[in-house]
Amino acid sequence: MTTRTRETMKLKPHWSSIFENGTGARLYPYLMVMPAILIAIGVVVYPVVSGISSAFFDVTLRTLNSGNMPFVGMRNFEKVFADPNFVRASINTLIWVVLNVVAQLGLGLALALLLHRIVPGIGFFRSGMLVPWVVPSVVAVLTWRWMYDPSVGVANEILVRLGVINDYHPWLGDTATALYAVTVESIWKGTPFVMLLLLAALQLVPKSILEAASMDGASGWRKLWYVIMPQIRVSFAIAAVLTFILTVNNFNAIWLMTEGGPLSSSEILFTLAYKYGFQRFDLGMASAVATMLFVGLVIATTVYLKLIQAKEAD
Amino acid sequence: MHAFLKSSAMAAAIIAGLGSAPAWADNLVLWVNAPLASGPDAPLYAELKAFEAASGHTVELQAVPHMEMERNLFVAMSGGAGPDVMALDIAWVAGLADAGLLKDITTQSQPIAAQFQPGPLASGRYKGKQYSLPLYTNNVALIVNNKMLADAGIANAPTNWGELSAAAIAMTDTGKGTYGISFGANRMGAFQIYPFIWQAGGEIIDEAGKSHVGDPEAIAAIDFLAKLYTEHKAMPDSVLTAGNWDEVHAPFVQERAGMVVSGDWAISAIKKNAPNLDFSIHPLPKGKEAATVIGGYNLAIREGSASPDAAFQLINWLTTERSIELMGKYNRLSATLAATTPEAISKLPEEMQPFMAQAGAGHPRPVVASWSQMHGDVFGVMWDSVIRGTPAADAMAKANTQVEELLAQ
Amino acid sequence: MSTYPMTDEIGRARSSPQLKRRLMPKSVRMALLYVGLWCAFIWCVFPFYWMIATSLRPKEEMFARPPSLVPQSITLQNYVDLLVGAEFWRFALNSLILTASVTIISVLLAVTAGYAMARHRFRGSVALPLFMLYGQMFPPVLLLIPFYIQLRFLGWLDSLYGLIPVYLSYMLPLCVWLMRGFFAQVPHSLEDAARMDGCTRWQAFWRVILPMARPGIVAVATWVMIHTWNEFLYASTFILSDKNRTLPLGLSGLIGQYTTDWGMLMAGGVLTAAPILLIFFFLQKHLVAGVGGGAVKG
Repeated sequence: MTTRTRETMKLKPHWSSIFENGTGARLYPYLMVMPAILIAIGVVVYPVVSGISSAFFDVTLRTLNSGNMPFVGMRNFEKVFADPNFVRASINTLIWVVLNVVAQLGLGLALALLLHRIVPGIGFFRSGMLVPWVVPSVVAVLTWRWMYDPSVGVANEILVRLGVINDYHPWLGDTATALYAVTVESIWKGTPFVMLLLLAALQLVPKSILEAASMDGASGWRKLWYVIMPQIRVSFAIAAVLTFILTVNNFNAIWLMTEGGPLSSSEILFTLAYKYGFQRFDLGMASAVATMLFVGLVIATTVYLKLIQAKEAD
Repeated sequence: MHAFLKSSAMAAAIIAGLGSAPAWADNLVLWVNAPLASGPDAPLYAELKAFEAASGHTVELQAVPHMEMERNLFVAMSGGAGPDVMALDIAWVAGLADAGLLKDITTQSQPIAAQFQPGPLASGRYKGKQYSLPLYTNNVALIVNNKMLADAGIANAPTNWGELSAAAIAMTDTGKGTYGISFGANRMGAFQIYPFIWQAGGEIIDEAGKSHVGDPEAIAAIDFLAKLYTEHKAMPDSVLTAGNWDEVHAPFVQERAGMVVSGDWAISAIKKNAPNLDFSIHPLPKGKEAATVIGGYNLAIREGSASPDAAFQLINWLTTERSIELMGKYNRLSATLAATTPEAISKLPEEMQPFMAQAGAGHPRPVVASWSQMHGDVFGVMWDSVIRGTPAADAMAKANTQVEELLAQ
Repeated sequence: MSTYPMTDEIGRARSSPQLKRRLMPKSVRMALLYVGLWCAFIWCVFPFYWMIATSLRPKEEMFARPPSLVPQSITLQNYVDLLVGAEFWRFALNSLILTASVTIISVLLAVTAGYAMARHRFRGSVALPLFMLYGQMFPPVLLLIPFYIQLRFLGWLDSLYGLIPVYLSYMLPLCVWLMRGFFAQVPHSLEDAARMDGCTRWQAFWRVILPMARPGIVAVATWVMIHTWNEFLYASTFILSDKNRTLPLGLSGLIGQYTTDWGMLMAGGVLTAAPILLIFFFLQKHLVAGVGGGAVKG
């Protein structure tokens, strides 16, 4: 009784009380998501739809200019499948994605746990670990390229001094190491974002739960797996999905370091699409690759999220 | 999407039509590669002021970095927009002209065509029509570290292939970690090997549009260069990675490589990074004949520009009589014939003179529509595989098939 | 299990006073923590250090072999050259305007949308977030031409405000997702308690939930800020005139056609990264669970 009177008294003067019941209440969630949805429709739907549909038309520099782009069905896809680089790029994409996602999530979680505790100087360390992410991507990639260089690369110098290698190695010029050398840069660049997400999520884990677990004498690994992970699983799942998407669509790293070379050893589907689109000026083929990537991403993400949801429902 | 594109292009055209300035005093949008407009005091601004005063037109200058120029042109022109006048790497002219994106200026340029050096002028011609005029030109020469050459016991810089190979091998010393000649990988390397194909008496694609990539002369050139690395170890490992000129120059600047094939841009880079290095510049060594490869930028008008006449006036202004002085301010070479006279050459800085002096031996790269693709996907890949051990004959045979396929499209 | 060395101890060291007596003395655990922190720090910061070192070297030291880890002599010439001209400051101002607008708009929109998606059941509340995420999956390079056509149609080419919707398309789905995740983690009990105290739904959200989700908001804002500040592809295609250029475009202008002045480029990179690092240094304390963590008992 008392509660209700207090409620109504407080409610009346505030404008937001119209959302408490009736139509207002029903509209409330829609109003909150509306602006975001409008923007998404306005600036995402048209470009994506037009991007996908280009895959089924003959869109080259020549046809674009004449304004006459014939429908070609699946021919762009056939042309892509006939390119020997496509298979190579698909395999590389798989390696690239798995290595990046696993390493970034693992390292990101480790860093978040490391940075979670408030100790003297933590602000300094936290800001420091954010550095890779903050450096403008183009400059970061060129710096790494410079560090890997067989003539002046400091990475070579350090490895020689540590006794890991005998002489400067052309990391980006060796077909066996190029993809992995780029992957290292990409992990370096991508981990801080995961770290930040998980760090923010860790802050929301109630201390009491951790304390209770500690009192039960759970070891660190057990606590991590059975107490902390379930608490941050939503953020972890989101970090996984986002890392996945950002890795597949990470362009600067490979393009500015190797352009997919040498001899396609670091070609991924994205760089292949870029080559088709902006070196051969065949947007049809580029869109065909992009559409395949897009469909792959959509399926993988949807399945993953469904699995997570099923697990949550358990 | 087809209809969608069309209708939006139409709407865009209407907007553009309404927005265009009256014909008597046109406003021109000019895209140049960023180094020419690197700051508010870049010489080009003063030059455009002079043009505006003389012609009554106004020019809006937009600087686009070389790396993004091709993509930005493609996007803008696909969207039905773009600059009135644009500076193009000479290797892009054919592709854009083939797509109908450049205005045919054959008739207008007829009266002034004789003012240009034949090589650079030809780089702007596609299927018999002139689409662009040269803004500046460059070519590659042999840059030699004098001290390393002397230490190797060789008196004079190499003038032919035999001497080049001998000098490179003599300067190579695994113990000291020195090499004969620094070279680029992939597209960078491909650009450097073209002159050797011509020197061998070979050709890439002839006037009639036939591929000669599989000819013995071309194979010999590739074999000669690749063996310097694969057999004689006379090139540093950077030949596997060097994708920009800094990486090509690096071993030379470090005095680990005694020679490098590069253009006039190397001069300032070497002087800046190794002020004490004693180097000299020589024409590329002769094979059967002397040859070098022409690079540079041309100016072209976009098809559909609202003010083509004013645009041509601007091109005329920038590329003809005044170009020697203007390009001199940038330390670049004018592509006018007047720039090749002995008096004009003697006025150039000393290190620039060898480049202008060998300009006559310059060949333009093939002006074919799919050149960008051939350069990267065919020749860049061919070079990458040859230095990793594929026999030159096999790699060139494969390249020849690919070139023929691209020409047939 | 109980003798797992480092991670074990670090994980444990975090919270509980009860465990102080176990295994290792506190000082050892702290030392290990700091060893871990320093290792991670060096890994993350070394390339940035290398940029700074390169930007401070005189040109003739740039190609020294072997490269010296610490510059043998130092020059500030690159920084002077960059900062003296008016251009750098104009680029920075443009970047600032753009970044501030995009960050504010996307955080506001993401917070409300993320909250509604996390807390309310409504038609499409399951499909919507997924749908938004799909928009993020198409390779951005291939959206250049459709975007260009759209912007040209609207007459927004070559303008900072024209970039805002483009950036939102690229930032917003992600932000909404992140915020949705953070809100999902805030316990329902808090909101219920606020409602019991007589708050309206909006007030409960605005006054109680939002402050709780502060670490999440900071994380999202940081993400938007960094990506807008550094975005290059769209800006380089849609911005044409000098007066509208952003910092990353200024940086790419430093990459030469033939040769690049690496010292200058690195100096530019350092100057571009510095403001964001500074901002984060002050923001990061909000990442800490001021209100979060211990506030919820049970």
